[in-house]
Formats: sequence, structure tokens, C-alpha cells
Amino acid sequence: MADTIKLFVNGVEVEVETGKNLIDAIGAVGIEIPHLCYHPALGADGNCRMCLVGIEDGRPPLVPACKTPAQAGMKVLLDAAHIKKIQRDVMELELINHPTDCPICDQAGECKLQDYYMTYGRPESRMTVPQVQKSKKLDFGCGVVHDQERCVTCGRCVRFCREITKTGELGIINRTDDARVNIFPGRPINNRYALNVVDLCPVGAMTSKDFRFKQRVWFLKKAPGICHGCAKGCNITIEHNREKYQDDIIYRFRPRLNRQVNGYFMCDAGRLSYRQENEGRLLAARLGSQIRPLEDVLAACTREIEQAGKIAILLSPNCSLEQMVAVKALAAKLQASLSGFSTGYIKEGDGDGLLIEDDKAANRAGLALLGIDCSRESFEKAVRDAQLLINFNNDLTRTYSDSELKKLLKDTKVIIAATHDDRLSAMADIAIPVATSSEYAGSLINCHNILQTFAGAVSRNHKPANIGEIAAKLGSPLQSRAEQFAELRKYLSVLKDFEADTVPAEGLKLNESEAANVTA
Amino acid sequence: MSAKVKTMDRKGASLQERLYLIEIFKGMATTFGHFFRNLLDNRKLYVRHYPEVQPEIPAGWRGRHRLTSHADGTVKCVACFMCQTNCPANCIMIKAGERQDGKTEKMPVKFTIDLLECIYCGYCVEACPLDAIRMDTGIFSVTGNNRESFILELPELLASPGAYSEEEYKKGGA
Repeated sequence: MADTIKLFVNGVEVEVETGKNLIDAIGAVGIEIPHLCYHPALGADGNCRMCLVGIEDGRPPLVPACKTPAQAGMKVLLDAAHIKKIQRDVMELELINHPTDCPICDQAGECKLQDYYMTYGRPESRMTVPQVQKSKKLDFGCGVVHDQERCVTCGRCVRFCREITKTGELGIINRTDDARVNIFPGRPINNRYALNVVDLCPVGAMTSKDFRFKQRVWFLKKAPGICHGCAKGCNITIEHNREKYQDDIIYRFRPRLNRQVNGYFMCDAGRLSYRQENEGRLLAARLGSQIRPLEDVLAACTREIEQAGKIAILLSPNCSLEQMVAVKALAAKLQASLSGFSTGYIKEGDGDGLLIEDDKAANRAGLALLGIDCSRESFEKAVRDAQLLINFNNDLTRTYSDSELKKLLKDTKVIIAATHDDRLSAMADIAIPVATSSEYAGSLINCHNILQTFAGAVSRNHKPANIGEIAAKLGSPLQSRAEQFAELRKYLSVLKDFEADTVPAEGLKLNESEAANVTA
Repeated sequence: MSAKVKTMDRKGASLQERLYLIEIFKGMATTFGHFFRNLLDNRKLYVRHYPEVQPEIPAGWRGRHRLTSHADGTVKCVACFMCQTNCPANCIMIKAGERQDGKTEKMPVKFTIDLLECIYCGYCVEACPLDAIRMDTGIFSVTGNNRESFILELPELLASPGAYSEEEYKKGGA
């Protein structure tokens, strides 16, 4: 914790961190200063004037809180009559030309303008002239839809494109009530983080084409999760809802603040990866082409395992650490060869040094930690020698073409524990549906050697099993998550003080020796 | 706390009443009096000859729902989900989509009301910011042979007309 100072808010003494502006410092202790243009990641701009606060005995007596560093002994006034009048007047100004779009606006329910109207204003409109008409439903590209009438010209989106992605596609043109955010003619937004402007927009001016009209936000249940799109492991909020008579469906991923990993943002590809959790799932266990109950299929698996002379087991680099130790214990028990071969998950040159990584697997560092062999030669040799391959959701089609895969697996029976009903699971002799990362609890190590845990958020109708459970049912000695986590402690001394559910939310930075073990 | 207690006289304690038979015949006399009077002349009977004679439904009555339209026939509903949010019986299911008729941006693609679950509380009408849903069809009795026939979809909701003029409806307390 940083150094603290004491200052007064409305005459009450509070202790806040130093080196922050008033909005962040006082906001951290639960006192809200209304603001539209300020965002911690984008810095203070000071154009909305919503955060004006009074400083008692100060010169000047009135300051924007976003541009004012917290200082010891400062006497901040928030509920004085003249401050309330300013807030009310700023609200009235913002709402002069704001259309009453709330019924059709996706932002309704999480809109700062709505919230502040209810808290700080409720001004009746005094305007007698017609509102200024601007363009609505402009396609800005990258799935961003802009409504100029709803915009409060706070400039967060403009600053994001200039400061964070450094692409600068957006700008504010014209002045006063004719000011509007726009793209340059014929040059739409073109960067891989574009949908962050939808989150940044405090009002409904920026909406996502993908999420548009899908759900009202107050129906969505929010649960923390980790994006499995690449090795970065961005922290996300999984927003899902079970509509009446329907399955539990994820409607969007949004970034969740973790200063150690991703900050405030996430990439568009990761954000839209929620679709893969909903679509194309393997819904029932299959024996050949027949759909059979899971118990029968698992019994058939056990028979196959007993009959097979040599077994090869393949792990996905997206599996959680718990799943990996469970499968490793299974492999040891069956005396099977274990591989994590998955070069197809790496897209060379795709990373950009910001948030996107080359490696599209979430937990390759976990494979390294557990000492699981990932080389092509040993995997291919193991498959050629084995009569049975048990594939735990490793998408081999990323690594091999269909013909290569058929050739490789021609003498081998394949059991696959798969999340999706795709070419690969169609090729398998036995397919078992398993849960995706939004449906089970587990832990991951990201590319910066930060261990993060996540809990299951979504409960599907077809109740897919966790890979750890499947491994346990096939004979792995580690039967529960607690046992798997205890096993994990042998590899990671940093976990000795923690249980699976007490790992800190921002993740655990692995220490030097463990990090060396991971990268070795 | 001292409650105000009022002791009621118990009736039926007199000898005449305790004999029962006399009281029974007195009751029978009333019953048969009505029976013979109505048998000979039923014009004064306090019974509506339903369904031949329909009751008069006042404009404030919460009958079956309908969705209203603009003058040009386009649906007023913009799928804001206020009714669904407000519905205590959870019987409204809406699916929103992009609007094609140039009115606004959003419209319902599906609008389903399950009448078997509806409790006719009228909260949906109250919540609607655009006067798009009303319960003024005057339909007070919904019958059907199967469960599916009680599930109203968008076309049926739009097709049913209101039973009252605008002035009557407004006067009815809406």
C-alpha cells in the first residue's frame, strides 16, 4: 500500500492514498465524485466540468477534481449548495440536446448520464427551441456503432484511439452544440481494440454491433472470469443470462480491471470469443456415431483402456492446472505417454506487445511447470506406438491438416474429451462432452508467470463435465479439485498459504525459481 | 394492550329454535317461494343469460392485452423491455431486433405473452413509456383446447382492436 495522507471531505476526515487525483483518491474510500470525461487509463481532460468540487479556504475555491492532486489537509466540499447547483446545471447543459432514447438505447441501465440525472439533477428542460438533430446509427467499423445525438463529447473514445492504440481514427469536429465525434471520411476505425470505446463511452453514443439489442443490461448476471483467447489471460466479466425456458447463454465479455495483467482493456478477438462458448458445442456423449448416456460411454472408455496395450494421452494447453495434474496422475497410473504438443496454437507474429500474444493457448506455462513434454517428435512417436489416444480437448486441427491427421491416427483408436462438435470430435471413436472455461473453476499461469484462478460462471442445460472429473472417472487418483490443488502445491511453493478459493483476485506473481521452472 | 371486546349474543338458544323442524320449514318456505315464483314468471330473475347476453365491460377493465400501432400501421412498441422487467408473473418474453420501417432503431421481433401465467395486474400497461401495450380489448374470457393456444404472439397481439374509443379509454383511468 502506498503512503497515505489525511484530508477532509464535507468536514469528515478520510485517509487516502497519495499521488492520486481527487476522483481516484476519494473514490477509493467509497465517496463518488461525478465525472464523465475522466478515466483512470486515459488521464484527466477536464472538459465535462461534472467533477467540479469546492476547496474550502483554497485558491481557487472551485477546481475540477480530475486535475487536482489530493493533498494533506485539503478541505473538499461536495455537498455544499453551490457545488450541487453546479452539478445540476452541468446536467441540464448535457441534457439540452440529449434525445430521450433510453427505451431503445443499449446503455440504459449502465449509463452515467442516467445515473447522474437521478442522483444530481432531475432538471426539467427549459428549452423552447427544437433539439439539434445529428446523425444516428453510424457504422464506425470494427463493430462500433455511433449515435452522435447521444454523445456528450467527453472525448474518451478519441483519447483512447490516440493514446492507447495510437491509431487516432476518431476526432471531434465542429464546435459548441454542433460538436460531434466522427471518423475521417472513408477511414473507419481499424484497430484490434476498437470495442473498448464501447465500454469507455459513459453514455450510449458508442454501442457494439454485436451486442446491439440482444439483452437489456439489467437482466445480465455478471461473474468474474479469465479470457482463454491467448496467453495473456486478461481478466474479464462474463455477462450471461438464462432466459425463460432457454439455456444459460453468455452475451458478452467485458474487461475487468487487473493492473498486474491487462489493465482496463481487452482485445476484440478475446471479447468476441464468448461466441465459441455458446455455439457448436458437443452436447451429448457419443460412442461411434451413436448418442449414449455418459456412464455407458465412460464404461466403454474403461474397456478400451484395459484392452489397449499402449496408450498415448494428449492435453490441451488451454486446460487449467488442476485438470493438468489430474490428467498427469491418470497418465502415470495407466503408464501412458503424456504430451501437450500444440504448436498449432501459436500464431507467429500475431502479438502486438500491448495485450495480444502470439500464443493462443491460455496455460502453456502450466504444461512447462508440470514438466509435460510438448515436442512434436515424442508425440508422433507415442501415437504411432499406441493403440489408443485419449485427447483432452487439444484441437489437433490447428496443428495438422485433415489428411495429415487421418494418416497419423489411422491405426489408433481415439477417445476425445471435447468441448465442441467439430471435425476432430467427428473423427473420434468415442467423444465425451466437457465444460469450457466459463463453466468450471480452475487456475492458469499466463505468459508473465502470473497465476490466476477463476470460478465457473455458467451452468449449461447439458451439464458438461470438467476434464478433471472425466480423468477421475477414468481412474485418476486425484478425485476432487481439493486433491488436485494439493498436488499443485508440490510444484508451486507460492501456493502453500492459499486454498483454491483464496488466491488473490489480481493473481499471484510466481517467484524467480518457479518462473525459471516454468520457462525451462 | 387491552383489546376492546364486544360479546355477541348467541342465537338459536330459544326452545323454538332448538326444535330445528320449525326453522327448517321456515327456510323451505323461502326456497320454494322463489322456486315457484320463478317457475311461473322468470322475467325478474337476477341471472344474466350468458353467453347469449354479454356483460358490459367498463373501459378501465383489464382484459386481454394488445399491442397498439401508429396511424400508418407500424408497431408502436420499441422493445424497451419495461413490461417484461416489470411483469411480476414473468409471462412476457420479448426478442428485440433492428427496426426496418424507419421509425426508430429498435422493434420487437418476437413478443410473447403466456396468458396461462399472466395475472392480469396491468403493470405492463403502466410501465410502457410509449402506450404500446394496452389491456383494452374487452376480452375477459380466453378459452382454448390446449396450452399452446394461450400463448399470444406478435401478430395476434397486433391484430386485436381496442374495444373503446380513445376518450372512453382515457376516462377509464388509463
